Amino acid sequence: MAALCHDLGHLPFSHAAETELLPSGWDHERFTTELICSDEMRLIWSRMKLDCVDVAKLAVGPKHYRDRRFTDWEAILSEIIVGDAFGVDRMDYLLRDSHHIGVAYGRFDHYRLIDTLCILPKIDKAADDELGSQELALGIEVGGLHSAEALLLARYFMFSQVYCHHVRRIYDIHLKDFLKKWLLNGMFTTAIEDLLQITDNEIMSELSKAVRDKEHPGHDPARRIARREHFRLLYQRTREDLEINREAGKAVFDAACMEFGDSEVRHDYYVQKEVGLNYPLLSRDNRICSSFTESETLEKVPLVAIDYVYISPECRKRAEKWRDKNLKRIITLKEGEEEC
Amino acid sequence: MLKQMQRDAILLSLMNEMRAKGSWCGETHIQKSVYFLQELLEVPMNLEFILYKHGPYSFDLADTVTAMRADSLLEYKSRRPYGPSLLPTKTGQDFLNRYPKTRGKYAERMQFVAEKIGKMGVAELERQATALYVTLNEKCAGNSRAILITELKPHIKIDQAEKALESVDAMIKEAAEKGLGSGL
Repeated sequence: MAALCHDLGHLPFSHAAETELLPSGWDHERFTTELICSDEMRLIWSRMKLDCVDVAKLAVGPKHYRDRRFTDWEAILSEIIVGDAFGVDRMDYLLRDSHHIGVAYGRFDHYRLIDTLCILPKIDKAADDELGSQELALGIEVGGLHSAEALLLARYFMFSQVYCHHVRRIYDIHLKDFLKKWLLNGMFTTAIEDLLQITDNEIMSELSKAVRDKEHPGHDPARRIARREHFRLLYQRTREDLEINREAGKAVFDAACMEFGDSEVRHDYYVQKEVGLNYPLLSRDNRICSSFTESETLEKVPLVAIDYVYISPECRKRAEKWRDKNLKRIITLKEGEEEC
Repeated sequence: MLKQMQRDAILLSLMNEMRAKGSWCGETHIQKSVYFLQELLEVPMNLEFILYKHGPYSFDLADTVTAMRADSLLEYKSRRPYGPSLLPTKTGQDFLNRYPKTRGKYAERMQFVAEKIGKMGVAELERQATALYVTLNEKCAGNSRAILITELKPHIKIDQAEKALESVDAMIKEAAEKGLGSGL
């Protein structure tokens, strides 16, 4: 039940509309918890002899239910649903998104992986005579290691090729711009009953209206989405830039805003979250070791980090010339600037 | 509060100190050393810790470490046949060198943590950090603290919990005497 309810609290357009459009302290996991513990659902749970708090804890996990203590077993059960390494939520979205988008990147042998999942002590240690912790964690039998590596690679490819593709990301930004203009006070309500009235359909319908109506407050972002007049990529941080300035994207964004005006420039920064690489592995002769012991792949899988700056199509040509002329100066830090 | 970049510099610097004291610097070492640094020695890292993997654990810190790996400041290094270490890269060291004031300000506190827990294995770190967590967050005294530790972490035995509490109490006292913490 917890797995089924895990995504109940998603806003319209899922993650795209979440950041910046909710008050501090609110996210879709909190809505999930509120829904699971709502009067309506409590009735369902009581008929099943379940406690709503038990379901909510497992559905969102300790990361999003911080005021409750998890037993070791609750932690493992929630890890099966939302865990960084083998959470079924991750397995599900990679496979489903891959299928619906029509790309092969997100596929892996989830049957094999699930068959080999097991609960083991996570014995991180530095020497044979060290006991290591006996705390239990979700691990796998060695036979499933390649499926686990494939899951990790699938995740990397889906993030780098799909979720973080620069054109896909700018549509999220335009959608956010539209919602900020349209929603009351520029944010989603946190009143559950009211929130449930706003689905993708309501937003699509309003967006369609806004495209036709030049007086609509969300007309500009709406037309950019509907007519493919989206902002274009002006700058993408490279590894070389990273050596010079970790906040190169922000430096370019600030300078571009000064040059072209805030309304013509957008900044997008995202770093992949915790991935869960180090888990216990059960060998064929029943020894338990770290996943890193048997896998050459785990330590080499890259993480996705994006730092994009976009410019409106109207300013694009001028901005590209400006970028080519000024980029190095903009991203170079002055002496002692970091510690200010 | 420290800014994000300053916090990352402290993390890299703490890892260097821990390695200098013999730590192999796995994920648990980083989590627990930062917990001691923030909670015992009051360095304002602004990280929320809950009782989870091997004792106090911060999801924010785990995400910070991942972001630092993505930015090539840190990298995994296998230690076959054991678990992996996390090490600062050359980019990470260059980044760290740009923050001499931040490092200098908290150097003594980082050295204190590394001195006390740098040589500990994961199991010992788990006990000590859980002991500090219970001491700071639970309203119980004497032997009831040890009993609570064994309830929270059933694989920890009562004598191990008592020993960890003794050690943590001594650390709190010493940090206060050296002016590195408030003595809680």
